[in-house]
Amino acid sequence: MYKNPKIPEGINSSKEHPLKEFIILLSGAVLLVIIASLILGFSGSWLAGKIPFSAETKIASLYDVSQFTDSEDHPKITQYLQNLADKISKAQNLPEEMKITAHYMDSDTINAFATLGGNLFIYRGLLEKVANENTLVTLLGHEIGHVKYRHPIKSLGRGVAVSIAMSTITGSTDSQVLGEAGLLTVLKFSREMEQQADEEAISTLNTLYGHINGGAALFKIFQKMREDMETGETPELFSTHPLDQSRIDHFSEMAKKNHWRETGELTPLPDFFQKEL
Amino acid sequence: MEQLLITMILVTLGYFFGRRAEKKHIKSIIEREQVLNKLPAMASRFPPQDGEYQQQLVSGSVVIANDYFKTFVAGLRNLFGGKISTYETLLDRARREAVLRMKQEAQQHQAELIFNVKYETSNISGQYNKKMPVIEVHAYGTALIKS
Repeated sequence: MYKNPKIPEGINSSKEHPLKEFIILLSGAVLLVIIASLILGFSGSWLAGKIPFSAETKIASLYDVSQFTDSEDHPKITQYLQNLADKISKAQNLPEEMKITAHYMDSDTINAFATLGGNLFIYRGLLEKVANENTLVTLLGHEIGHVKYRHPIKSLGRGVAVSIAMSTITGSTDSQVLGEAGLLTVLKFSREMEQQADEEAISTLNTLYGHINGGAALFKIFQKMREDMETGETPELFSTHPLDQSRIDHFSEMAKKNHWRETGELTPLPDFFQKEL
Repeated sequence: MEQLLITMILVTLGYFFGRRAEKKHIKSIIEREQVLNKLPAMASRFPPQDGEYQQQLVSGSVVIANDYFKTFVAGLRNLFGGKISTYETLLDRARREAVLRMKQEAQQHQAELIFNVKYETSNISGQYNKKMPVIEVHAYGTALIKS
């Protein structure tokens, strides 16, 4: 009279393989995170671009600029770089309040970068490889171009927006949002930003000297550096380093489009330059 | 990065061990259900009126903890919504195991039937929502023993 039938399987629990659900959900979540960080990064960068330069200078003073202290032993070099920077600022029509400060770093690193508050850091390693003033102006023009288009603060804004979002999702209590995103050297510029700065640099070069000779030499320095680092590889392989070569090509393209002269007399560096480095 | 690696290891371990345990458990449940099928458990509140029965409360309970893989998948589910199938198998196992334990107790009393069977569940992982869920499933009913 009273009976319990055998319970059929698969009614209260699904037969679907758990790994299938796992993979679908995980890829969905990853996709969501990527899209969210793209949108947030874009809006963060856009919003940061609205920050007035005077506020950016204040943000810059929050960071420990002293860890990148200038070499006080080379006042002549610093002064020379500063003078060039001022000249370029004028050529690029920088707004009045956008003050560029050049810092000379006595280190072998082959590098130069622009950061918050219009601070430029130029390393001895790179200056040693610069052969003439035209190339140096291209370098400084590029970095000042970053400042002109507010790239450092935009890059910081993007980093902050993304890291706030990530710490909200993962629930981590790591509150070093500004601290980590804002490390002066960590500011990464996008390819578009680099191109914008390159265009600004070449146009500055043409404004100051009437031709663009010596500009491409800057990328050849980086190209050479990459070749030297990749020992054991054939140099031909790296002579067409896509990034550097495309930047050189872009220079010629721009020159042709604007009818700028690609040849011209190079301005030598001042006599004290190599001695004082 | 380190955090990610630890999570990955835990999820992998949770998957393999959890799946192995689940398969073993389901197999054992099916076997014991076949044996205990001769002792029916009914939800009805009205016992049979034909004859004298002794009544006895019987119960069976089981406490189940989750593995890391299931928690991880359930956490991802929270983003999108939908059924959490990894928990479904877990709770299905728990309910059936609780009934089996109840039947075992009734069998010891030489009962013929269990009436008015009910389930209770309670969360014993506390209020802290980051902890893995630990759930108790409790089945109880009135065993009828022929006197």
